[in-house]
Amino acid sequence: MKIKEGFVVREVAGKIVAVATGEASIGFNGMITLNPTGKFLWEKLENDISKEELINAVMEEYNVEYDLAKKDIEAFVLKLKSEGILCE
Amino acid sequence: MFIVKIAEFNIKVDNKYSYVEKLCKDYIVNTDSYDIFVNVTDEEIQNEKSLDSESSFSDAYCESVCIYRKICLELVKYDAFLFHSAVIEVDGAGYAFSAKSGTGKSTHIGLWKKYFGEKVKIINGDKPILKFIDNDIYVYGTPWAGKENWQRNVKAPLKTICFIERGTENSIRKMTSEEAVIKVANQVLMPKEKGEALKMLDMLDKLLKKVSLWNLKCNISKEAAELSYTTLTGDDISEN
Repeated sequence: MKIKEGFVVREVAGKIVAVATGEASIGFNGMITLNPTGKFLWEKLENDISKEELINAVMEEYNVEYDLAKKDIEAFVLKLKSEGILCE
Repeated sequence: MFIVKIAEFNIKVDNKYSYVEKLCKDYIVNTDSYDIFVNVTDEEIQNEKSLDSESSFSDAYCESVCIYRKICLELVKYDAFLFHSAVIEVDGAGYAFSAKSGTGKSTHIGLWKKYFGEKVKIINGDKPILKFIDNDIYVYGTPWAGKENWQRNVKAPLKTICFIERGTENSIRKMTSEEAVIKVANQVLMPKEKGEALKMLDMLDKLLKKVSLWNLKCNISKEAAELSYTTLTGDDISEN
């Protein structure tokens, strides 16, 4: 799984935001805000990464169990997919 | 073809229709030099026209919309950007009211004008330009001012952004810059080119840290205007 090319992420007045530029802006028009966990997941997804690898990364970073990590990741990935942010 | 001075930039416009030139009449300058050049193609005009479901806008009007959009995107390179808002000036300071279209920004600033008279001067009713000069932010009148055409070719330091929501009761509170990020971002034109988008985000960051931010819930009444006026300007209003 990988986030489409062209998204720029920056902190704006205390909030982490992502906007689509270039080709990515054809599928996504707007701005996303990310909480710290969202930012962590987003950064991992900037390089192609499998769901299992992502779950492992979250378990290690946040010291949580597999099932919780899996649940949260699936929700996050589903949101990104529905907004046209992930490469198909 | 004509040259306008907007936000202290000379912009040369190569227009197909005379509508946009008439719209810009308070901003036209008699000079040959310019900083920015814009024109639009027939294809761009037709694209703009197709965005309007009723197709009731003329080609001439659509050209003016496209021209302003191009100007605003170009201005990002020069530390300036469009901020969709209604802006007024009191004692030399600019107050911007922001909300989704149709909420009542123009109505509210109309109330300030009605009740506080000469002290209140309109800068722009719809699409002013904000510009950074060193680290200070200024708001400028532009020819694109909404259906009332409330605009003056002036500039003022921007003191406050106040977001408006309709309400049955009147209340006002300060907002954190974090709260305001999405609201402000929704009212600017975000460039699609990466470097320019980053520049815009940078300017939004500086803007949100610089001006005071408020949220106003209000109805259409003298009390609503008095609440926002006294809170935002700090002026005492004496009973008549």
